[in-house]
Amino acid sequence: MDKYSIEIKNIHKNFGNVVAVKDFSLNIKDGEFISLLGPSGCGKTTLLRILAGFEFADSGDVFMNGKNISNLPPYRRPLNMVFQRYALFPHMTVFENIAFSQFLKKKPSKEIEAKVNEMLRLVQLEGYGGRKPNQLSGGQAQRVALARSVINEPQVLLLDEPLGALDLKIRKAMQIELKNIQAKLGITFIYVTHDQEEALVMSDRIVLMNAGMIIQVDGSKNIYFHPNSTFSATFIGESNIFPGKVDSLLSDHNLVQIDGFKVKARLNSEATIDGGVFLAIRPEKVKRIKSADTTKAYDNKLIGEITEVIFFGSIVKYTVQISAGLKIFAQEVISDDQDLNNISESNIGDKITLGFSKEDLNILLK
Amino acid sequence: MAIKKKRTHIYLLLPLYAYYGLFFLVPLGILFIYSFWLTSTTKIIPIFTLHNYIEMFTKELYRTIIFRSLYIGLVIGLLCVLLSYPLAYALTFKYKKLQDAILYLILISLFSNYLVRVYAWKTILGNYGFINQILTYLGIIKQPLEFLLYSKTAVVITLVFILVPYTILPIFSSLQNVSIDLIEAAKDLGANPTRAFFKITLPLSMPGVTTGFIFSFILSAGDYVTPQLVGGNSGLMIGRIISDQFGQSYNWPLGSAISYMMIFLMIIIINIFIWITRILKLRS
Repeated sequence: MDKYSIEIKNIHKNFGNVVAVKDFSLNIKDGEFISLLGPSGCGKTTLLRILAGFEFADSGDVFMNGKNISNLPPYRRPLNMVFQRYALFPHMTVFENIAFSQFLKKKPSKEIEAKVNEMLRLVQLEGYGGRKPNQLSGGQAQRVALARSVINEPQVLLLDEPLGALDLKIRKAMQIELKNIQAKLGITFIYVTHDQEEALVMSDRIVLMNAGMIIQVDGSKNIYFHPNSTFSATFIGESNIFPGKVDSLLSDHNLVQIDGFKVKARLNSEATIDGGVFLAIRPEKVKRIKSADTTKAYDNKLIGEITEVIFFGSIVKYTVQISAGLKIFAQEVISDDQDLNNISESNIGDKITLGFSKEDLNILLK
Repeated sequence: MAIKKKRTHIYLLLPLYAYYGLFFLVPLGILFIYSFWLTSTTKIIPIFTLHNYIEMFTKELYRTIIFRSLYIGLVIGLLCVLLSYPLAYALTFKYKKLQDAILYLILISLFSNYLVRVYAWKTILGNYGFINQILTYLGIIKQPLEFLLYSKTAVVITLVFILVPYTILPIFSSLQNVSIDLIEAAKDLGANPTRAFFKITLPLSMPGVTTGFIFSFILSAGDYVTPQLVGGNSGLMIGRIISDQFGQSYNWPLGSAISYMMIFLMIIIINIFIWITRILKLRS
């Protein structure tokens, strides 16, 4: 039985006429790294601020370790927040910034000094204690902000798009660092981001949100390979989406029709016969069948013409027109293997056979 | 070929420097020299002496008025800051939408003529003025409050109201630098609103408070029009005495000496203020 550090029950929040968060409920496990992911305006930051105590929900409750913290002000909640723009106190040194929470708790100065130094070691900023925030780079400031919150040993840490203002390379390095620190300290991280790649890299679970509501909650792999809606399929990663109709329901798969073609799709227990649905498959799951290759059997095969090829460095993406109404995006890793003959622009116009597994074709009802 | 740094900006500033130098710095220098000279009934005697500086502290009148002026200036400076800060704070954090409108109102009051405002206070504070009339009407007093006009109190009230706009603006300006993020971060780390104010908001806005204090302190300690109109005898201030030395009393050396002494003492008081605020800013 998992221990829940935070239970969120039916939170509603409006700003005037705008619904920011709608009937949001979620249980967060102790020690997990969970991301709130969604486009701008989906309510993820609002929800985070409600957890922190900077906004109060119109209705609903937040429980932490069984205790209702919904009406407590931020300084009485046993969680801490890392702000998007760091919010380091400009009139204090790095040391004083990090020490702030301990100073407020009136801890003895020797203890504070030891703890701050430990934090500086943790975020790899030893020796920076005397600097002022305006003397730090973005990445350094972010690490100070993290240290400042973590020194308090919170059970839960809230992070509001902390890496948004950083360069790509630094952002990627920080993602790994944050993940390591979280694993090392065992703190529950609730992480808000609009970057789906970041969420996939860092999270144990992803909460995908749109327009104030939860669309899907799942582990990264599951949410990627088995999205529950066209929104999930297209927001995270890239996806083919085809409108189709359910033909028949079988024990281990469903038969669907896409533009007249009958294909086997992953079982969806909610699908009904003749129901209009969407079919989704990731481009990398659509494989090129070479005529000589008879070792692998595919559930589905379609023949079409290559109409577009784009080189992406380590992968190549190509478009295959199956029929007038059906176009499939596929991609494959560029390989050095001599036998493999990578697809290139010279293949445009060629006929090609595509194959994919029924488990990779998801039926989506919405 | 190296490109020489162009110095045309110096030539453009020359007229301003010349004007400033000739009409401000040179006279200041002359008066400084005068402060060490003496005067007779007919002319100024150029001997170097500390007589004037000693006289202003040995003669009871001068000594009293000097300290009274500094004291009144200090009181007005502190009152201005204490009244302006809550207003500036409310404008920044509570009434963001009305911010511009109220700022305009404050600026409009600054544009009104100084003399007109002093006269207005004269009528408000008088025996038959607005305040006394209301208090009598409400039955709170039977005789008009006499201390309201022609007193130190009158000087303080008048100058505080005239100088509050000058104090609100720098405080408001420095409060803009206090991003609400910082206050939220402080609260998140465990500070209740009071501690967040004293540890974050106040230290960050202190430069504006200091500027506001300096404005109102200096302007009121040396003022001589307001004391003359509403100060009466007990509200006599040093500005009047200095201007007399350059007028009918004809003692420019003494006038210069008192002026420079006042400047010196005001600088000391301002530095004490800054030193105290620095202590308040530091954590224990």
